[in-house]
Amino acid sequence: MEENRDSLKNERSGISQIELYSTNYAGRLPAAEIKISSHQLNCEIFGKPDPAISRTSLLALHAVREAVMDAGLTKEELASPETALVGATTVGGMCLTDELFHDALAKKVGTPYLSSYDYASVTLAIQKQYGIKGEISTINTACSSSANAIVYGARLIRNGFAKRAIVGGAESLAKFTINGFNALNILSSKHCMPFDRDRNGLNLGEGAAFLVLEKEEDQLHKKKYACLSGFGNQNDAYHPSSNSADGEGPFLSMQQALLQSGLQASEIGYINAHGTGTENNDETESVAMKRLFERVPSFASTKSFTGHTLGAAGAMEAVYSVLNLYHQEIYPSLSFLNPIVTTGLIPVSHFSKMELGHVMSNSFGFGGNCSTLIFSKP
Amino acid sequence: MTFLHQSICISPQNTYPEADFSQWKASNNNLLEVIEPAYPGIPAGTRRRMGKSVRMAVGAALPLLENVKQPDGIVIGTANGGMEDCIKFLNQIIEFNEGLLTPGNFVQSTSNASAAQIALITKNHKYNITHVHRGLAFENAMMDIVMLLKENAHSGYLLGCVDEISAYNFNIDRLAGWYREETVQNKDLFIGSFNGSIVGEGAYMVLVNNDMENADAKLAAVKTLHSVHVDEVSESLSKFISENIKEEESIDLLITGENGDIRLTPYYEQIESLFPESIPVARYKHLCGEYFTSSSFACWLSTEIFKNKQFPPDILKKGKVIKPIRRILIYNNFRGLQHAFILLEDVNPH
Repeated sequence: MEENRDSLKNERSGISQIELYSTNYAGRLPAAEIKISSHQLNCEIFGKPDPAISRTSLLALHAVREAVMDAGLTKEELASPETALVGATTVGGMCLTDELFHDALAKKVGTPYLSSYDYASVTLAIQKQYGIKGEISTINTACSSSANAIVYGARLIRNGFAKRAIVGGAESLAKFTINGFNALNILSSKHCMPFDRDRNGLNLGEGAAFLVLEKEEDQLHKKKYACLSGFGNQNDAYHPSSNSADGEGPFLSMQQALLQSGLQASEIGYINAHGTGTENNDETESVAMKRLFERVPSFASTKSFTGHTLGAAGAMEAVYSVLNLYHQEIYPSLSFLNPIVTTGLIPVSHFSKMELGHVMSNSFGFGGNCSTLIFSKP
Repeated sequence: MTFLHQSICISPQNTYPEADFSQWKASNNNLLEVIEPAYPGIPAGTRRRMGKSVRMAVGAALPLLENVKQPDGIVIGTANGGMEDCIKFLNQIIEFNEGLLTPGNFVQSTSNASAAQIALITKNHKYNITHVHRGLAFENAMMDIVMLLKENAHSGYLLGCVDEISAYNFNIDRLAGWYREETVQNKDLFIGSFNGSIVGEGAYMVLVNNDMENADAKLAAVKTLHSVHVDEVSESLSKFISENIKEEESIDLLITGENGDIRLTPYYEQIESLFPESIPVARYKHLCGEYFTSSSFACWLSTEIFKNKQFPPDILKKGKVIKPIRRILIYNNFRGLQHAFILLEDVNPH
């Protein structure tokens, strides 16, 4: 987490050429690849590497370990029936694209990864590692998956089905998503330019982020980063893979989050926008922001640092939002030059300190799945 | 409180449009494939683009949404979503060596495609989510709605689940040992001692709100657990029962997810032993096959029993049905790790 913050403060993007993952697009389509091999991650987490685990699960385990340590959860607390776990991913173990293809057709002997392809395998790896006994779910609402995982965990606590919840998402680069997004013509061959007039697509990324949610009264003496004060989940109901021109889903989702938080639009100090850098998203998100806010607050897309990490994006950006509040600072959008002609919005382009009470974070996905989180200073 | 209203179940048996228990369909090469209706509600062009799971889910959802108030949310459980589309896209990647590909299969394969299509066709802008937690995807969707109804008193939701058989996925799970190597007829699923089961598929959709009037059943409680230990599962179920059933009362029927895999027998035996001999035990996976969201088939059977006051043939494992069935406990065990308890009650016990 500190490494992330350091890069955000110093405006250092993680987007580069693909070096570790084997794909024809290595060297052609930039992506935010974590430059640590799966083997090394595996050794760091397990000592003796687990032969049946996917990179997505390894990234998730790495993030959960840091979150759990930071929150000071004991082994007993983790294994308690009152600890919930909600994961999110859109690719799961399908980063093992070649192995999956082999196993789909093999007659007699499969690879060791037979139980590691599905979405749930990522959450189940965490469940196994910590012996978690409470409510557990995995959510896939495309690119808003982990925002919804955070909300589901919060609701489990609020409704008395858990005392604490470990929530987040993980994603790793995969031929499946690289080729999928490329077939849709929305991958940029350059560094993505969120909210820029000349943006021409997104860069994929990989990563994982997990947060520990607890009730305020249960963590009186702990470090509190932020409070989740509102959330929205609404559907654009327009097209399977693009947003409506008036940004109805994004608008409704932000509006619902505001309503739920009891805040006025003017109280939002900063928005971590979805801002993928595609033609469609950035324009419709801008339209929606302008519909909701009389004066659009400072906003930026940290996807210019992380690439679009799909199922992990909501949780990674939730962590950044929480850091915004904790350190009273805002992170910029990189590579921005000119505003979109029709909307004219200009994102924050440099790191700065800023007094913040409330931060909004947007995540919009295929299938019209729009989600918004609002975090507040505790 | 959570009440289940009209439901539609598209399954390997004759469950839709009319339930017909007079003859059960036989499995074919360890597969129980759904009997797909004509889907008159889905425009032909849209239908052709849909993969099987999306088609089944949308096909089961649309008739329920005609002539009712727009639901306040669409909550779907599916472990894999469009597996067939997923592998078709994978085939493209390999066949064309990551060349120029068409995105249709990719977009259809995302597991939120069913919930998204239902929202798109019915222009529903409200809460929309897809739970994908393998053998508990359906129960988690249920749990989501239990909470939604606590949060918003006067609301109503579409709850559903879907999972499809794909030849490739079947192969992966077969290699992992979850399906029988030798061919077995579904009627003989519980004979002998074997590893593995037969595979099934299906879609289930139900309208849920907190209005008891005209409800088919009350969802009294749902709980899930991850554990490989038989004792832990049975302790958890005992706790579930003491929390949700008054001491002087009991369940009238236990429906288990027994699937003919001998490795799961200890769990089912232990759970059955928690109840007196007088409580009949039923099972259902010889009818719908084993799949990730198959406990929805047991939910559908339960509401049929409540509604029609008749007991489907060939599902009773032991005991006798003597008194009216007013309270049903469903216990499902997915691959020895994921456990679910669902408690349903009849709301019109006359």
